[in-house]
Amino acid sequence: MRLHVRPILSAMLRNWTGPVLVAAQISITLAVLINAVYIVKQRVDRIGRPTGIDVENIFVIRSVGVNDKYAHEAAMRADLAYLRGVTGVVAAAPISSPPLTGRGDRIGVMLKFDDHAHGIVTHYYEVDDQALAALGVRLAAGRFFQANEVLPPRRTSGDVIGAPVAVITQALANDLYPDGHALGKPIYDSFGFLTAPATIVGIIEHMHGSRVSWDKFDRILMAPRLPFPDEPAVNYLVRTRPGQRDVVLRAVDEHMQNSNPDRMIEWTRTLEYLKNLSYVADRNMAIFLVAITLMLIAITCIGIYGLATFNVSRRARQIGTRRALGAQREDIVRYFLVENWLITTVGVIIGCALALVSGYWLSTHYGLPRLDLYYLVGGIPMLWIVGQLAAWLPARRAAAVSPAVATRSV
Amino acid sequence: MLRYYLRLALKSFARDPGATALMLFAIALGIGVCVMTLTVYHAMSSNPIWWKNDRLYAITLDSWPAERPANIDLPHLPPTQLTYTDANYFFNSGIPERKVLMYQATGVVLSGRASKPLKINTRITTADFFPMFDVPFQYGNGWSARADTGPEALIVLSHDLNERLFGGLNSVGRTIRWSNHDFRIVGVLEPWMPQPKFYDLTVGSFNEPEAAYLPWGWSKALQLLSSGSIHCWKVEPANTVDELMSSECAWIQMWVELPDADARTRMQALMDTYWNEQRKRGRFQRPRNNRLSNVNEWLEDHQVVQNDNRLLVGLAFAFLSVCLLNTIGLLLAKFLNGAPVAGVRRALGASRLHIFLQHLIQAGVLALAGALLGLGLSAVFLWGVRILYGSDPQTGRGGYQALAHFDSIGIAWAIALAVVAVIITGLYPAWRIGRVSPARHLKSQ
Repeated sequence: MRLHVRPILSAMLRNWTGPVLVAAQISITLAVLINAVYIVKQRVDRIGRPTGIDVENIFVIRSVGVNDKYAHEAAMRADLAYLRGVTGVVAAAPISSPPLTGRGDRIGVMLKFDDHAHGIVTHYYEVDDQALAALGVRLAAGRFFQANEVLPPRRTSGDVIGAPVAVITQALANDLYPDGHALGKPIYDSFGFLTAPATIVGIIEHMHGSRVSWDKFDRILMAPRLPFPDEPAVNYLVRTRPGQRDVVLRAVDEHMQNSNPDRMIEWTRTLEYLKNLSYVADRNMAIFLVAITLMLIAITCIGIYGLATFNVSRRARQIGTRRALGAQREDIVRYFLVENWLITTVGVIIGCALALVSGYWLSTHYGLPRLDLYYLVGGIPMLWIVGQLAAWLPARRAAAVSPAVATRSV
Repeated sequence: MLRYYLRLALKSFARDPGATALMLFAIALGIGVCVMTLTVYHAMSSNPIWWKNDRLYAITLDSWPAERPANIDLPHLPPTQLTYTDANYFFNSGIPERKVLMYQATGVVLSGRASKPLKINTRITTADFFPMFDVPFQYGNGWSARADTGPEALIVLSHDLNERLFGGLNSVGRTIRWSNHDFRIVGVLEPWMPQPKFYDLTVGSFNEPEAAYLPWGWSKALQLLSSGSIHCWKVEPANTVDELMSSECAWIQMWVELPDADARTRMQALMDTYWNEQRKRGRFQRPRNNRLSNVNEWLEDHQVVQNDNRLLVGLAFAFLSVCLLNTIGLLLAKFLNGAPVAGVRRALGASRLHIFLQHLIQAGVLALAGALLGLGLSAVFLWGVRILYGSDPQTGRGGYQALAHFDSIGIAWAIALAVVAVIITGLYPAWRIGRVSPARHLKSQ
C-alpha cells in the first residue's frame, strides 16, 4: 500500500492557505490542551489530598451567645453532654476552628524559649479529650488528651494558664525533630498558650488543618483546652456512624436551635460541604479549563471538517477522473486521510513547541511547576485521532463521487 | 449599493445555512468566552473609588521583628494592618483632611420584624468613614467625631439590613439592640457595594460591606474583638481589646484623605520621623518601609486579581484566535466556492474593489451577528460563573459574596472584539476573492 505523499504535498503547496489555517488551529489547541490538562491535574490532586479526617461522617455546628446571660463554659458543657448522648453520634468535641474551612489560628512553635527567629508557624487548635475520635484521625505514637487534662477556656484577663501537654501532627514533628524522636520532647510556643516548656505526648499520623491554601496545611498543634469564646462562639465537631450524618444533623440542629435561649445556632453544615467551599476556586478553575479545552477541540474539529469538505467539493472532477482511471474508493479515502494527517502533524509539531514555550512561561510567571514532558506524548496521538475522525466523513463523501462526474462538465 | 450588498450577503448565507451556522457559532463562542473572562477580570481589577485615587491612602509600616516579614508570600510589604499605638498616633496628627481607624466585628441584632436573633458583620469605625469613601445615605447620615469619643450609642445600618429589620422604611431615630446594648439608628445607607472591598482586604476582597457601623469608641467600651485578622508576633497577652491596644499585634486598618501633594509629603515626613523616634526606643527592627498607598497601588500590592483570572483571560484569547482562524478558513472556502459568480460579476463590469467590499460586508454581517450572539452567550456564562462562585453567606465561606454584574464594559468589549473579528476574518478572504480573474471562471461555463 502506497500513501502517495508527494502528490498530496504538491497539491497542498499550490493551495496552502486552508491547510495553514487548520494547522495553526491544531497547534494552538494542542498547546492549550496540554497545559490545561496539566493544570487541571494539579488542581484535582490538591482537592483530593488526603485529609486524615473522616470528612464524610462529620458535621459542624456553630453556636453564638446572644445576650449577657450567656455563660460560655456552662453552655459548652451542656451542649457536649447532649451531643454525646444522641444515638448515631460516634463522638463530639468543641474545636477552636473547624479543619478544612479556610480560616484558623496559627502560632509559632519553638525548641528554645523565646527563640522567635526559629519559630515554626503551625495551626493551633484548642480541643477537649474527645477531639481525636470526633475528627477520626489516627495516632502514630503516644496518647491523646485525658478528660482531667482539659483546661477551662482562656480567660479574657490575659493571664493564661499554660497547657502542660500538646499533641502534634507527624508533619510538625518532622519539622521540629528531623531525627524522628519528637515524642516526650519539650516545645515552646510564641503566645504562652503552653507551659514553658510543654511536653509532646502524642503524634497524629496525618491531619489536614484549616488553611487549604497554605502549603504547610498539615502542621498542627493541639492543646487540651476548651475553646476561647471569641464573638462569643464555639464550633462543635460531630462525627456520626456511616450513613447517619444527615439524619443526625437535622435532629441535632432542630434540638439545639431551641435548647438554650441565650445563644443561637449560627449555622450547621457538613464538613464535606465546608471543604468543597474551601476548594471552590480550584474546582472552578478545573471546570473552566476543561470546558474551554473541550470547546476548543470541538471548534478545531469543525475547522478540519470544513476544510476537508471544501476540498472534496472543489476536487469533485479530479476525484471522478481518478475513479474513472481505476482508483478504488479506499484510495480516495486514504488520499484525504493522509492529507489530513500531514496537516495535523505540522500543527502538532508547532503545537509541541508552543506548549513547551507557554508551559515555561507559565512556570516562570505564575509559579506553576514545569510541564511534564509525558503530557506532550499523551496530547499528540489525541489530536491525530481527533483530526482523522473529523476528516472521515468528508473523505467518505469523496469516495462516493461517481466516476461519471469526470465526463460531465460542471 | 450597501443595501444591495447586504441583500447579497443574506442571500449567500441562506444558500448554505450549515456553514453559516458553524461560522456564527464559532465567532459567538469565541467572543462569549472572551467577554465573560474579561468581565470577571475587569470586576476584580477595577478601582471602585477611582475618582479619589489621588486623595485616599492606606497607611502601613513595618512593625514586625527583624527575623521575618509579616507576610511570607509578600515579604516586601509591611503588615496590612497597624498596631493601635501607631494608628492612634497618626490619627491624632492633624495632617489628613479626613482619617479613619477601623476593623470588623460581629454582633447579634435583636429588633424590628426579625423574630430570631441575627448575627451580623459590623464595622467599628470613625466618623469620617462615610464622607471619605463617598458612602451614599438613603435616610439620615453618619455621626460626628464627638460620637466616636463619647462613645454615643449610635448605629448606621446598611440598606439590606434596614430592609430585613424594618421593611425598608425610614428607621432613623428608632432603637435596635446590638449585642445586648441599645443603639439609636442615625442613618441608613443606599445599596453600596464597592468591589473589590478595597478598604479592608483582610476578610475577603469580594465580600459584601458590613451590615452595620458603630462609632469607634465602642471598641474599648464593649471590648469588641476583631472578627477579621489579628496578626501578632510577640509573646504578650492579647485576649482583650485593652490588651490588644497596648500590644504589638496589627489589627487596625487606617486610611487617610490627603488633599494635595503637599499634605502627602508632610504625612510621609511625619511617618518617617515617627519611625526614627520609635526605632531609637527599640521598636521597628526591620528596614524602613513606611507606605502611603493609593487605592490602585493597594489593590495591586495585595494581588486582588488572582493569577488564575489572568490565566483565564489569556486562555480566552487563545480560544478566540482559534475561533477566528476557523472562521477565516470557512469563509475563504465559502467565498472561493462562489468564485464563478464573482467572475461573472467582474466580467459584467464590477471592479475588484466592489467585489472586495461586497465580501467584506458579508464578513461584517457575520461578525456582527456573532458578536450579538456572543454577548448573549457571555451573559449566560456569567450567570454560570456566579453560581459556581456562590458563597455561603451564613458561614461566610466559599467564593465571592458579590462579583460585579455584567456591565457596559462587557458590551464595549464585545463590540471591540467584533470589529477585530471582522478585520481579521473578513479582510483576507475578501481580498482573495477580489483577485479572482474573471476569464478562468467564464471559460468553464
